[in-house]
Amino acid sequence: MKRILIVDDEPHIIRVLKLAMKNAGYTVDEAYNGEQALAYLETSHPDLMITDIDMPRMNGRELCLHIRQNMPELEFGIFILTARAEREHREWSRTLKKVSFLEKPVSIMKLIVYIDNYFRDSQPSQEKKHVG
Amino acid sequence: MRLNKVFSAWNRERLGLTMIMASLAVIAVTVFMLFFYQQKNELAHIREQGTNLARLLSRLPYEQLVPPRGQQSTLAVLKHGYIDTDFAYLTVVDTRGIPLTEISSPGVIVPQAALPTDPTSWLGERTLTLGSGGRTVHEFHAPVFDRGRNAGHLRLGYFRPGLGLEPGQIPYFATFALLIFMLTPIFYFLIRREIRPLQQVNSQMDSLIEKAHLSRVEVAATGELRDFMGRFGQFIDSAQQRINQLETDRSGLVTSTKLIDYKRTRIESVLHSLPDSVMVLDESGCVSLLNSKLAALLGVNPQEVLGKKPLEWCKDQNIVEFLASYAGKSFRSFNTEYIEYSPADSPEKTVMVMPYPLFSPKNASQLLGTLVLFRDVTADKNAKQGSAEFIAHVAHELKTPLNIIAMYSETLQSEIGRTEEFMIEAANVIHDESERVSMLINNILNITKIEMGSMCIERKRVKLRDLLEDAFKACARSGKSENLEFKLDLPRELSAVAADKELLRIAINNLLTNAIKYNRVGGTVELAAEETATSVLIHVRDSGIGITEDEREKIFDKFYRSERDAIRAKSGHGLGLPLAREIILLHHGSLEVTSKPGEGTEFTIEIAKETDLLQQAV
Repeated sequence: MKRILIVDDEPHIIRVLKLAMKNAGYTVDEAYNGEQALAYLETSHPDLMITDIDMPRMNGRELCLHIRQNMPELEFGIFILTARAEREHREWSRTLKKVSFLEKPVSIMKLIVYIDNYFRDSQPSQEKKHVG
Repeated sequence: MRLNKVFSAWNRERLGLTMIMASLAVIAVTVFMLFFYQQKNELAHIREQGTNLARLLSRLPYEQLVPPRGQQSTLAVLKHGYIDTDFAYLTVVDTRGIPLTEISSPGVIVPQAALPTDPTSWLGERTLTLGSGGRTVHEFHAPVFDRGRNAGHLRLGYFRPGLGLEPGQIPYFATFALLIFMLTPIFYFLIRREIRPLQQVNSQMDSLIEKAHLSRVEVAATGELRDFMGRFGQFIDSAQQRINQLETDRSGLVTSTKLIDYKRTRIESVLHSLPDSVMVLDESGCVSLLNSKLAALLGVNPQEVLGKKPLEWCKDQNIVEFLASYAGKSFRSFNTEYIEYSPADSPEKTVMVMPYPLFSPKNASQLLGTLVLFRDVTADKNAKQGSAEFIAHVAHELKTPLNIIAMYSETLQSEIGRTEEFMIEAANVIHDESERVSMLINNILNITKIEMGSMCIERKRVKLRDLLEDAFKACARSGKSENLEFKLDLPRELSAVAADKELLRIAINNLLTNAIKYNRVGGTVELAAEETATSVLIHVRDSGIGITEDEREKIFDKFYRSERDAIRAKSGHGLGLPLAREIILLHHGSLEVTSKPGEGTEFTIEIAKETDLLQQAV
């Protein structure tokens, strides 16, 4: 069973996403900011991470950068799910390996489809993919 | 004073004294010359007579000169026949110099003197001094022969003529001196008569020098002097005219200088009062003018910059390059440019630089220099940037609750959301998030209106006690579910304040909402008020999670949200406190905060009482 880490400072978002993903057959863990996510990564390794950008302590951007620069052994994919629609964020996300950019609001059903597709596509290869 | 008078009297009469002195000198010189001439004549006469007589007597037979005893000597005849006032003595001496015979003037003793032994010097003359009286004698000597043999010498002495005045000459000299003395006063008075007009001119000139105004010098004169005075008068008249003309010109110049000075001051005042910074570059690209605003903008001293090229004083490369392109007469484009400028000790500025050509007023094609306007557009740029950031923030803040609503509603539509538990949860979440959106929109509208200055504040007499009670009750109702204790501590009488009731309600409501939202379970929310002599203080206290020292200033920044989990766990958009403060500032009040993290926070609003505001207005 694939394990997904959701990082968002809005508890309601985590609550709904968790509900939908569990229903789709995934194991879901949660963190409310970047620091919590890093603490989680010390012990557990998810297959996919979905993160917001605007978060306290350590934001999504810093989190992604830290993982890709300092944790090369972790090759899981990252979905950035944010209401921040600025081009700057979208372009920045392209510079990182296996990072996709999704803009809020996003349909939960579509998100599940993206996740399913990601796992299906990433099985044979580790190719980076952009969605949204 | 006396000395002065004496001196001036002498000064006046110096002509007369000089003439007397001069005449005396003339007399003395003339007399001396006469005496000198007379003496010279006499000496010549004596020499002629003495030489002739000595030669004549020398040829006489010895016996006639020195006769035997009993015969009369020729010399005795001569004594009687030859009487001259200058005659001193005549003697014949033998070869040893012993007198053989002699005749002399009374009282004269023939001086002893050796005669020359050399025959060539036997005939001659010499000067001797008499033993008695010290008179000088001119002696002529010649040899005496007796039958062809030198028997002695003949010595003939004459008194040398002196400078003494002879009695016979006195009337002559007296007449001469009198004549000169008679002529002196005549000359003196004639000269005085000629000089008098000049003296008058002098004294009038003295008074003219002391006076400011020139006038003609009036002197009764004749002849050349009258002509001279006439011309001099004309000269004075024309000089006075020139002076008058110069005086008129000068006063005209003073007036026009004052006018120019006034105009210059006015232009400078305009220049310095311009909202923009101004610089004028001359043809060579040197600064010929700059106003104080530009000096402040560029951080330079105007005196050190004038007359210099930008390269010499401006440290900013961009500005130097821009200004340098306007040196010289060649035509160039005058395009506005935006230059990022970094002044010392301050953040980077953006300066808009607008060059305009300065043409000669007489010749529109002649370029005199360049007028360069500098405008600090940092604030505009920041405002634009701030505005863009604000919109991005607002969009994000709106999207977050809408996103939650969308996700819950989508889940509700799907199978997984069709449990009773989730439906209740979804209903609550959607309600709360809708409220959040609504409040966010209201806050954004209000804060924008206040910042734009378009908020019309309707200041009315507000019964503060009623307002606080209403606000408190509304919050207490909505916060009932939070399990909090609500305290209201208002004095019985509370002065009215002049305020916009609705705005003040929003401010107090925002503070109370925060006090509820960021409280702890079982905590307290208290609304209290008190009065001082001039103002009303409203306190909103809670026993919540508090505000750290670092956050104290930031909480009034728009969209600021603490990074602490306890705060992030609550929904918020970071506009409540900034809006509350804007509203209080709009009422000329203050909003202060004191807090201890973990213990609680107290916000205090201070608003001046209505009476105090009136007094201020008066």
